[in-house]
Amino acid sequence: MNKSKWFFTPVLIWLGLFLIVPMLIVVAMSFMQRDTLGNVVYSFSWEGYKTFWDSLYLGIYWDTIVLSITTTVICLVVSYPLAYYLANSSPRVQNWGLILITIPFWINFLIRTYAWVLLLRTQGVVNSLLIHFGWIDEPLQMLYTKGAVLLGMVYNFVPFMVLPLYVAIEQIDRRLLDAASDLGASRWKAFWHIALPQSKAGIMTGSVLVFVSTAGMFVVTDILGGSKSSMISNIIQAQFLGARNWPFGSALSVIFVLTSLILIVLFSRVMKSRSDRTREGGNA
Amino acid sequence: MKKKGHPLLGIHSALMMIFIYVPIVLVMVYSFNNTRLSGDWKGFTLDWYVSLLKDRHVMEALMNSLVIAVVSTIAATLLGTISALSMRDIARKWRGPLNGVLYMPVIIPDIIMGLSLLVLFSQLQIPLGKSTVMIAHITFSMSYVYVVVNARLAGMGRQLEEAAQDLGATYWQTFRHVTLPQITPGIISGALIAFTLSLDDFMVSFFVAGPSSTTLPIYIYGQVKRGISPEINALCTLLILVSITLILLAQYVLNRGKGQKKHKMLPF
Amino acid sequence: MKRTGLLSMLGVSVLAISLLAGCSSKEKLHIYSWADNFNETVISDFEKEFNVDVTYDIFANNEDLLAKIKAGGGGYDLIQPSDYMVETMIKNNLLEPLDKNNIPNYTNIADTFKDPTFDPGNKYSIVYTSGVTGIAYNKKYIKDPIDSWEDLWNPAYKGKVLLLDDNREMIGMALKKHGFSNSTTNETEIKTAVDDLKKLLPSVLAFDTDTIKQKMIQEEGWISTVWSGDAAYIVKDNPDIAYVVPKEGATIFSDNYAIPKGAKNKALAEKFINYMLDPKVSAANYEAIGYSDPNTKAMEFHSETYRSNTMINLSADELNRVEWLSDVGDSLQFYDRYWTELKSGRE
Repeated sequence: MNKSKWFFTPVLIWLGLFLIVPMLIVVAMSFMQRDTLGNVVYSFSWEGYKTFWDSLYLGIYWDTIVLSITTTVICLVVSYPLAYYLANSSPRVQNWGLILITIPFWINFLIRTYAWVLLLRTQGVVNSLLIHFGWIDEPLQMLYTKGAVLLGMVYNFVPFMVLPLYVAIEQIDRRLLDAASDLGASRWKAFWHIALPQSKAGIMTGSVLVFVSTAGMFVVTDILGGSKSSMISNIIQAQFLGARNWPFGSALSVIFVLTSLILIVLFSRVMKSRSDRTREGGNA
Repeated sequence: MKKKGHPLLGIHSALMMIFIYVPIVLVMVYSFNNTRLSGDWKGFTLDWYVSLLKDRHVMEALMNSLVIAVVSTIAATLLGTISALSMRDIARKWRGPLNGVLYMPVIIPDIIMGLSLLVLFSQLQIPLGKSTVMIAHITFSMSYVYVVVNARLAGMGRQLEEAAQDLGATYWQTFRHVTLPQITPGIISGALIAFTLSLDDFMVSFFVAGPSSTTLPIYIYGQVKRGISPEINALCTLLILVSITLILLAQYVLNRGKGQKKHKMLPF
Repeated sequence: MKRTGLLSMLGVSVLAISLLAGCSSKEKLHIYSWADNFNETVISDFEKEFNVDVTYDIFANNEDLLAKIKAGGGGYDLIQPSDYMVETMIKNNLLEPLDKNNIPNYTNIADTFKDPTFDPGNKYSIVYTSGVTGIAYNKKYIKDPIDSWEDLWNPAYKGKVLLLDDNREMIGMALKKHGFSNSTTNETEIKTAVDDLKKLLPSVLAFDTDTIKQKMIQEEGWISTVWSGDAAYIVKDNPDIAYVVPKEGATIFSDNYAIPKGAKNKALAEKFINYMLDPKVSAANYEAIGYSDPNTKAMEFHSETYRSNTMINLSADELNRVEWLSDVGDSLQFYDRYWTELKSGRE
């Protein structure tokens, strides 16, 4: 199977040119300075990284991580049963399910998000229904809150969780499950000891995709949160645009990419050791 | 097997589909709303569909978006799948760093990706246009395809492939009849994500686009300032209906005469 | 692999169609501007009259435009930056000087917009439209007379105040309230303004620039800072809304024509600007898009409704108390930092 290594060459060339080189430019820029006009000046400086070390930006970074983790956990909890149901259906339903879950996300992101505004605003669909059925007297202020931001994030990233989960759950070795039930294991036991550990690659992948996508998203906080909170991506955006401080923006990005990579590695370690333990437990 | 899926699972899945479709249905309803600043319901109209078909800017943007999405999805799916497959044959010590590189486009904030590629293109004097947008989309989409196909490969041993080769299958035969069928769900899911990302990307496309390569998201973001025209709602409605029809048709054509495969159930 | 097969089939047909479309050898004018910024008919008339093709690409805000042009994105012949962005782009050497000999209709522009502080002598830019950031409020909910920025701080409007999501505009507003220049570089003055804004924060429903119109029309907010052009737009859909330029003074802004450095078709871009400044063309254009028309000779061709709209045509008295935003150089870092503190609620 050594041939496949050669197929990797075009991939490497592509990534080298269109990913590594641009990233090196960004890393280099993060160690430079800006002049009064906002141009990048080629002289070495730690300024970008020093600016970050400040309770303001550290605090915003912390908020971002908390929101991203919350979004990821909620996505995982609501998506797993759906992906599981899908993987358990007939092939026809599987194909349809996949497509039907993805199609809504082919319509524009802004349109989808503004649709939530129409649903949640004080004279919106949800409030009107609640008042109509007499459950509330005064409209609820749902929009421009942290809850609305969370909802928007979960909504937009559900497919990133469902698809990898489905891919992993679909290939669970069903012979093992048969064997387990032949040996008298309950459904829960079979699920907990066989199905769940075998789908860990999907959980891992889905979580990573949702986590980093949430952290990198900025429009949801603006539209559904009324721009009243900031995410690290809002700050990065502002440095390259309004504030015209490209070195600081680059430094923030480098920090963001590195911490994300570290979190991913840590997470995959934890997942591995957990499933190893389960496997040992199952053997005992 | 007589076991059926647990009813709660079915109910949960149905609720999830409703959650996913509620905003979409609202967009569809509002595409018939007789007001420009889509606030309250002001009566039924088909005007937006009529003016949509006459609007050359929207049609051009839609065309650009579709061409870019299709081309970049095909290329990204190929490159992403190749990466995932070949990663298995690469020496252990290289896997970590290469994996990191392949994960990067998923992590890098869009604005960085867009700006740094723009700097690169302008240094290399590559004229901006649809092709530069495609290059950018391929670069970030292939990572998603890689990640998803990888999730598939992680749960798949190599015993079957080795057995096939022991029985005298060539490299290509093994790939075609053993490996590929096993990873197909991963490839399809990856391609779906790639297509979705390309169709929806604004920030990266904005920076690497040139004259007459405005994509639909760039167009829509630009419109926000004056109020997004309900034409866009009409367009989204058509897009969804056309996609579903096309897929229905494809399913019908491809599945004719094929019996339903038996498959075993998971617990619950 | 079924689906990929389908996709590639689709791809081939889409490609074929797109290759068939287009492909002409006419001279091309590449415009890069805001969405729907012109009357479509006027542009096609221009195409016909001069036998050229106009392509129209769009950006969503000045900062995107600057970042893109600065990083080397180009190929455009005509761009439309706002006032302070013209100044920044001139300082960054990103604009071509205009050849006024090719734009004889320049003389039609009102004197107020000739020789602006951001571009002395109109060397690089010519105004396209302008407006003033004032207060819009809903008379249904607000019975008190509104004439000062101070009114935004009225505790009775708690949770119903909308602000523009723009640090220079909003800090500039608070600066004006205290009688300072909206473009001060004095850090204590900026600090005073920001501390005052922090007191306003609990009243703020949302920060929003682009869809603040909808929020006012749908009565989510009662009182907001808006651009006069947007106010005209809001009133059309909700007649309960009134607009006022506060007595402390306000910020005036404009969108302009400019030609980026290295434009391939500079002469054609100038021809286009000149065409747009023709009184009749100008009237047809602004009448359709509803922005203010700086062209004095065009007034006679405008409709009565357009001429009598006080939000499109601000009074001389109102225009007397306005100030342009100007580039603040390094102080931009203070503005950005304070704005981040303000919005994140952290220090």
